[in-house]
Amino acid sequence: MIYSLKEITKSYQSRQGVVRALDELTFDVRPTERVALLGPSGAGKTTLFRLLNATLRPTSGTLRFDCQEVSAMSSRELRQMRRRIGTIYQQHQLVPSLSALDNTLCGKLGSWSLFETARSAALPSKDNAAQAMAALESVGLADKHRARADELSGGQQQRLTIARVLMQDPDVILADEPFASLDPALTETIASLLLGLAQNGKRTLVATLHDVDLALRFFPRIIALRNARVLFDKLTSEVCREDLKSLYAGDSDLEPLVDTAIETPSREPKHKQHRAQ
Amino acid sequence: MNPSINNIARNRTAQEWPQASRVKLSRIGAAIAVAVGLIICWRAAEIRPTAFFEPGTAAALWAFIRGLFPPDLSLEFVRVVGAAIIRTAALAIAGTTLAIAIGLPLGVMSTPTLWQRGVLLAGEPPGVMRVAMAWLSRVCRALLGLLRAVPDLMWGLFFVVAVGLGPVAGALALGVSYGGMLGRVYADVFEDVDPRALEALHATGATRLQVFLRAIWPQAKPSIVAYTLYLLECCARSAAVLGFIGAGGIGYEINLSMRLFEYGQVLTLIMALVGLVAATDVFSRYLRRRLHANAPAGSLAHEHFENERGLRSRADGRTRATIVIFVATIAASFYVTGFFSETRTGLLSRIVHFIGESFPPELNATLLRQLAWPLVQTIGISVMGTLIGIAIGAALSLPATSTLIFTGDDEAGSRSLITRGARAFVYYAARLTLNLLRSIPELVWVLMCILAVGLGPFAGTLAIGLHSGGVLGKLYAETLEEVPARPVEALRASGARPLQILLWGIWPQARPTLISYTVLRWEMNLRVSTILGLVGGGGLGQAIYNNVQLGFYSRTTTIVAIVYVLVITMDWMGDRLRSRRTAI
Repeated sequence: MIYSLKEITKSYQSRQGVVRALDELTFDVRPTERVALLGPSGAGKTTLFRLLNATLRPTSGTLRFDCQEVSAMSSRELRQMRRRIGTIYQQHQLVPSLSALDNTLCGKLGSWSLFETARSAALPSKDNAAQAMAALESVGLADKHRARADELSGGQQQRLTIARVLMQDPDVILADEPFASLDPALTETIASLLLGLAQNGKRTLVATLHDVDLALRFFPRIIALRNARVLFDKLTSEVCREDLKSLYAGDSDLEPLVDTAIETPSREPKHKQHRAQ
Repeated sequence: MNPSINNIARNRTAQEWPQASRVKLSRIGAAIAVAVGLIICWRAAEIRPTAFFEPGTAAALWAFIRGLFPPDLSLEFVRVVGAAIIRTAALAIAGTTLAIAIGLPLGVMSTPTLWQRGVLLAGEPPGVMRVAMAWLSRVCRALLGLLRAVPDLMWGLFFVVAVGLGPVAGALALGVSYGGMLGRVYADVFEDVDPRALEALHATGATRLQVFLRAIWPQAKPSIVAYTLYLLECCARSAAVLGFIGAGGIGYEINLSMRLFEYGQVLTLIMALVGLVAATDVFSRYLRRRLHANAPAGSLAHEHFENERGLRSRADGRTRATIVIFVATIAASFYVTGFFSETRTGLLSRIVHFIGESFPPELNATLLRQLAWPLVQTIGISVMGTLIGIAIGAALSLPATSTLIFTGDDEAGSRSLITRGARAFVYYAARLTLNLLRSIPELVWVLMCILAVGLGPFAGTLAIGLHSGGVLGKLYAETLEEVPARPVEALRASGARPLQILLWGIWPQARPTLISYTVLRWEMNLRVSTILGLVGGGGLGQAIYNNVQLGFYSRTTTIVAIVYVLVITMDWMGDRLRSRRTAI
């Protein structure tokens, strides 16, 4: 098993009391599997993501990555684990003032020695630059390699994050809404790119999606989250209309409350959360 | 690595990659100019790293450090310290009050959106009045520049000559120099408010005064309050330093104790000074919070309704008490400073006489030639001092950045108590060192550096370096902490080490702010380096001090004019550096 979750719970302290973003999730992910996480906004997808790439610790429950327990890892082991996980974030999380090429190089940081790091601050090695350029080329951004990340359009930034993951060459790809800011034509391109990346490299792919059609088309397994719990966990061939109906059914009065707690966990300054509420 | 990517990579030729090593001729020229400049600065500041290793140095420093302990805490001396603290605090409050009295009217007058251009003036007919007011506004702005450019200690020297030795001269000096700074900041804040509100009010037929009170002031108030309180902190530090030229208070006592080799007293006084500055900091933070809580500002219209319902009575009583305490403190400060007690007969005629003596400035070639080297020395001290400050600040800011040192409670993985304890220790040690470096003013540092490396510009350079190291370290750490967290999180999630996160995620985002702070600090250090000579730190200050002592006031005017030109030139260069900061 690449991932093994057992009764994972994550709760946040908010002004309304304790909010459970994830409530006793239990499931496994096998290597090379492709899993889509579906669910209405606020169901806990983004929190689950941060747990899976080990930037957040669960309140309770055990999370194993490749048979190792994450909560017992030293910071060195954590780094080694993260190196094997490539994350594509919803808000891209690029370094705004670095060029597209530099942002792509960032994907490789985990596997560089300290010497390489120091050297590349001035001038990256030719091999690394060539790899980064090739990654940019395969997402169609080779001509933009000099542009600063914040000068790129939303779709271009999305492709740049994929190039960064390509550069990282991970065992697992986590993609949080990878098609959210793309037009239909680009969605096809990026989807085939991402799936090709997963299939050719024998990588595991876990993606959150809001588009049910894409999930049904491209992912053999679907895990549906609703109100912080697993609603169903099925092979795509077994998913029926009733499942989807119950997933997106109308009673959404809990959503706004949970929503803010999950979308902006404690990293954001307090006053910003305030305003969002 | 994906095999297809490797193939593409191999097929590419080297020259297609961005060449960071592409060399431009202008770059080489600039590099040579910078190198020559640095060598001149090094020479001018008379930097001698060997000075630390000379036989006498270690002994002198050891004697000094041993002398510091135990601090003199005898009842007699504590009484002296208490009086000095009260005097210094009174001087700071009186100085700040004067600075507001000078800065606010000049600031309003020099706000370009009120008198020179913008929506308020677009529809006005071009008349004599309008042109006259526009020019008056420009004159006020230039006057603010002059007040600001001449360092407070130099103003202090003038007022000592004009009104006699004592705290009154110090308060006037603080008022004038910080008035110039406040006025400029006020004008900038007034100018930067949202112009749409101005336009809307102007369109309803409001007068300029009404527009100011209803549209500009309410928007500007939080920044104005915050900056004025920040200025109070600066004034407290300056007030202590003004003692060096006879304004009394802590600086005077430090200078005296140093000269008497009573180092135990020096330590007590420095602790008192650090305490005073820290107390001002706490006090101004408290006031800032309170005054922000009093929003919404600008209108008394609600009061009718709220009075009827008796809602305000308690808050009202507290506000009234605050105002009474406020006014009483200011009055007491002026009293302690001696504004009311000393006889002021003949003061005006003395000032007029002094101004008459100071003009016209002496401009013969010999004097100018004599002043050339001190001028270069002043620049050299500021540059080398700032470089030392950058080195100290950069080294101490990394362990003082909480986001680098501590991992959040929510962070995955295990952490041992020992590493957490060690990290906390490093963090607090760095913060404490920075605070210590920062709260001791440059002039006090000079006295200590003179012990180590002897009289001269090197002592001044070290003093500037130590103090700005403390200031810059704190600013650097805060900047690094406030960098947007999302990109940093992405790097951490891909397995980057802390150093890599710093170089690739934090540094690129923080760079413009870091450069901006550093350039600003250098501009301040230039002002400081013009006065270090007063206590033997070299540069133009020495020349001014000598000429004032000898009564050559017209020569002094020349030197002040040189300082003024120097400071505005460097400010201009600093502005240019900062506007190019993203390109650097």
